[in-house]
Amino acid sequence: MLFKDQIDFVTQHIKKNKLRVFMTVLAATMGCAFLIVLASVGFGLQDSIRNEILSDENITKIQVFGNDQFTEEQIHEIKSIEHVKTVLETITVNASGHSFFEGRDTLSDVYVANMQDFEQVNGKLAKGKYPTKPKEIVVGYHFAQTLINDAERKIIEEKSKKAEAEGTFYNGSEEGYKDSLIGKEIELVLMPHSDGAEEGEKIKYTIVGVMKKPSYDWMVNNSIYMNTEQKPTLATNLAATGNVKEDDMFHSEFNIFADSMENVKPILDKLKDDGYNVYSVTEKLDQMNVFFLVLKIGLIFVGTIAVLIASIGIFNTMTMAVTERTREIGVLKAIGASPKLIQRLFLMESTFIGVIGTLIAVVISYIISFVANAALPVILEAATGEEAFSKSDITFSLIPWQLVIIAAAISVGVAMISGYRPARKATKIDVIQALRQEL
Amino acid sequence: MKMIQVENLQHTFLIGKKGKEKQVPVLKGVNFEVKKGEIVAIVGKSGSGKSTLLQILAGFMKSEQGSIKVNGKEAANFTEVESAAFRLQHFGFIFQNFQLMPGLTASENIELPLKLQGIKKAMRTEKVKILMDKVGLTEVADHYPNELSGGQQQRVSIARALITNPPILLADEPTGSLDSETEQDILLLIQSLNRELGLTFVIITHDEEVATIAHRRFRMYDGELVKEEA
Repeated sequence: MLFKDQIDFVTQHIKKNKLRVFMTVLAATMGCAFLIVLASVGFGLQDSIRNEILSDENITKIQVFGNDQFTEEQIHEIKSIEHVKTVLETITVNASGHSFFEGRDTLSDVYVANMQDFEQVNGKLAKGKYPTKPKEIVVGYHFAQTLINDAERKIIEEKSKKAEAEGTFYNGSEEGYKDSLIGKEIELVLMPHSDGAEEGEKIKYTIVGVMKKPSYDWMVNNSIYMNTEQKPTLATNLAATGNVKEDDMFHSEFNIFADSMENVKPILDKLKDDGYNVYSVTEKLDQMNVFFLVLKIGLIFVGTIAVLIASIGIFNTMTMAVTERTREIGVLKAIGASPKLIQRLFLMESTFIGVIGTLIAVVISYIISFVANAALPVILEAATGEEAFSKSDITFSLIPWQLVIIAAAISVGVAMISGYRPARKATKIDVIQALRQEL
Repeated sequence: MKMIQVENLQHTFLIGKKGKEKQVPVLKGVNFEVKKGEIVAIVGKSGSGKSTLLQILAGFMKSEQGSIKVNGKEAANFTEVESAAFRLQHFGFIFQNFQLMPGLTASENIELPLKLQGIKKAMRTEKVKILMDKVGLTEVADHYPNELSGGQQQRVSIARALITNPPILLADEPTGSLDSETEQDILLLIQSLNRELGLTFVIITHDEEVATIAHRRFRMYDGELVKEEA
């Protein structure tokens, strides 16, 4: 029998029992959609947490623990490892930077780094360029916002009090210096953290660049970044304040950067073998992935139970179909239809139910997923009064193509298995008995 | 040329409750042969074993002992799959109660064996059209079985049996559900098909009238087959 004729045969029978087939398809759809939506929560949460981790820290960054200072030789050695983009030494100045500009001032952290390495790691700036000359600096994204004068300080204080009374928080984003700081000269005074130290001399710097906005809304970056050439100047300045030991003036932190996320793991392994105490956020991801793999398998397992319940419907429908058509099957066998063909025709019918059910389920699942992601934050916000739900990018439900494939395989597979016994029964029908049946 | 050659065919039924079954022999060493182009009638009362003989001949069930050669091929030991394929090529069936598919029109019913053979739509339509014309069914081609008279249904059944050009037609009480006038029509049709196309017919019947069109006649009596003069 030609495949097209087989399809015709099956569709003819389906048309004859529209309502029954429809109800069975509905059950299959519900089972499969339940499976997909349930598992999509696992995928969604994993995605949310993964994004959280990835946006939180630089994924290609390998942190080096311990207070050891790398020697030039070690840095060279690490840089020679394949896929290492750079080794960035960030020197934290052990003092607050007090900046003055047009009657405004702000306190910030001061960092010193090799600006070429620094540029490689941090990429594009929000504004301006990286320092190329001495006395040039880059400032954090919020530097201008935190540059305030006394009048603004009072306004912020009032707004904060008001916000506190309402149970909220005011971050001072409406005040600060509004114009561009690029090309502007500030005066910097270092204020050592150690007791009894005095403010240092004023040093003039020109702002040439503004860093990118931090990945989180709540992060405020008003730090100052300058080239390593400035280290002696800063040291002299700090020494003049008295009471600061030379060893305590600076603190170095080394971070190794891989050229891509995939290459972090081999570099990490190599460094660990070489005895370095290193850590990367990707290790956290690995652990998290194992946890979510188990969670997702669990959810798919629970969802599969729904599919199995639906399969009982398919089994019943197919058994009914075979019983109803006993005489027809008998005639088919009598005129020479092979048992294999008869089995295939019934298997095709149950597979059809599974496939249609799955197709509808996939569409419905995507709709449910979309609606859930859009509506749940609003509902949760209304219920809890927390704004965090609507502001954050939590994915409640995510349906990747892999999930669709898994769910489709389970649903169609289960449909075929539940159709198998009725189909076998059809092949076993005794021709003589079947032909004796009354019309 | 021998179309069918049956030798020492034996079969026993087990009747009664499990564990207390009684053996009832239905075929006690049946021998007969059918030549090409012959109409052979096997007559007998109910329970004489003639239906069992036809069912074994058609491959619907297996005999316990004996040999069946159809068109020179030993058919007694076929598997179910082989038997189905063999039926499709060698036999056409005419049943007492027509056994048409209720959901298919007359022409679709006739087309069914060609579908099973995997023949393409265009060719099937052509063949069905020619045959329907021949057996006088053109006007009712699109009617469903319940819209046809008994005689028309049996004509459809005969056309379905003929459509694959099988060398042998097996008929089980072909006029059993028809009135005497229609019975005559069908018998004439069988005779003309036999004459014009040289088809071989094996007719199982309890109706002596039907047996009159046979070239040779066998009588089944208590599991044994006896040749009679035609």
